[in-house]
Amino acid sequence: MKQISGNESILDNPMVDIATYLFLEDIADKQGAAGMNNYLMSLAYSLARSMPEEEYTDWDSFVDAIVKGESILSAFEKVNSISKYCMVTVESPFLRGWKEYTKRIGEFPRIHKEVAEYYNSRITPTAIETGDIIIQTYRKAAAEKITVDGKKVKVAHIATVSPDGSKKIAPDEWLPILLEKAQISKTQLNMILRNNAAVWIVYPSQ
Amino acid sequence: MLDIALVSLIQDMSEKAGVEGTIQYWLRVGENLAKRMGKEAYMGWPSFNVALREGRTAFSIEGNVVALTDLAITDVDGDVVGYIYALEKCVFEPTILRVRYSVGQLPKADKQIADEYNMTYKDIAVCNFCIIHVKFREEVARNITIAGQPLEALHLADRGFTGDTKIDEENLNKIGINKEYVRSLLRNYACVFALVMKGARLKGEVSEE
Repeated sequence: MKQISGNESILDNPMVDIATYLFLEDIADKQGAAGMNNYLMSLAYSLARSMPEEEYTDWDSFVDAIVKGESILSAFEKVNSISKYCMVTVESPFLRGWKEYTKRIGEFPRIHKEVAEYYNSRITPTAIETGDIIIQTYRKAAAEKITVDGKKVKVAHIATVSPDGSKKIAPDEWLPILLEKAQISKTQLNMILRNNAAVWIVYPSQ
Repeated sequence: MLDIALVSLIQDMSEKAGVEGTIQYWLRVGENLAKRMGKEAYMGWPSFNVALREGRTAFSIEGNVVALTDLAITDVDGDVVGYIYALEKCVFEPTILRVRYSVGQLPKADKQIADEYNMTYKDIAVCNFCIIHVKFREEVARNITIAGQPLEALHLADRGFTGDTKIDEENLNKIGINKEYVRSLLRNYACVFALVMKGARLKGEVSEE
C-alpha cells in the first residue's frame, strides 16, 4: 500500500483546480501581471509557513526523506534524486489542473505565461506559467524551514518543462555554476528534461 | 497542489480582503466558471439525464452526479418539469483530506467564510467552497435548455466533512419533497439539488400564492 502522505492516492477535484485558475485570472484582470504575481508568491509563502519545520542529522537521510515523499519539499510532488544535490520533479503538480482546464474550459489563457515572464524578469528566470511561480516560491520558502546537520538548506532552479512541452532553462551566465553544483553536464540536463517536469538543486547554505 | 495552494490563500485573503470580500470573490469565480463552460441544449429530460450519466454536461465537473429519476418533479398540471440530482462526493472532500495529510488543519477562515455566507446570503454552506459551488450550479442551469426552456437550480441539502448538514426547507416546499426524505438521501450523497424548468408552476409555489 502506497503511503498516503505523498497525497498521490487522493486526487483533487477538477472543479477546485479550475476554480483556482479562474480566481487567479480574475485577479490578473483587476491587478495585472504584477498583482497576480504577488498573489501567487504570497500564497506560496503562506503555504510554506503553515508547514512544519524539519531537521536531519545528515544529508543522505534528508535526500532519502525527499525521495520517499516525507519531506515538506516533496509534499506536493514526486521527486527523484539524480546526484547529491540535484533533484528532479517527475510530473508537474499542476498537470492535472492544466489537463482539466484544457479539457473542460478550453485553451490555457496567455495571462498565465505573461505573469511567469514578469516573475522571470524580477525573481528567478525559470518559470513558464503561473504554477511554476507557486511551486518555485514554495520550494525556496519551505527549504528555509529545514536544517541538515545544523545548517539551513537552500534551493535553486535549473530548468522547467511545461505540460505543453515548452522548456525554460536558467540563463547561460548562471547555468555552469548550477550544473556544477548539480554534478551534471548540459547534455545530461537535456536528457533529464525529456521525461521530467523540473530540475532543481537543494544544497546546504555556507 | 493547486487546491492546497487555494486553501492556504483563503486565510490570506480573508485577512486582506475581509470575509465579505472573499465571499464576493468566490461568487464571481462560480459565475465565471459557469460562463466559461458554455451553453448546452437538449431535446428533452431523457437526453439530458443520459448526457449527465456519461459526464458530458457542465455539471459533470463536480464529479459523479446521479439523476434520481424516481424523483421526478411535476407542475400543477402533473407534467414532469424537473428531477432531483445528487452528488456522490463533496467537491472539496479530496482537498480537505490532502490538506489534512500535507499541511494539517484547515484554516479558520474556511468556517468563518461559510458562517458569514449562511448569515448574509443563504443558510446552506457547510464549507467555504459551497459558495463557489452553489453559484456555479445556478449559473450552469441558466446556460442549459431542455426543449428550448432554460433551467433553474434549486439547492436542497448538503452534508459537510464532519457530518453537519444543511437543508433548504423553502426549496423543498417549492417542489413538495419531504425534509426527512432528503435527509435520508444525505446518508448516501454529499449534496442534493433539483433542476426544474425555469418559470414552471410548481405545486409549492402555487399553493403559497
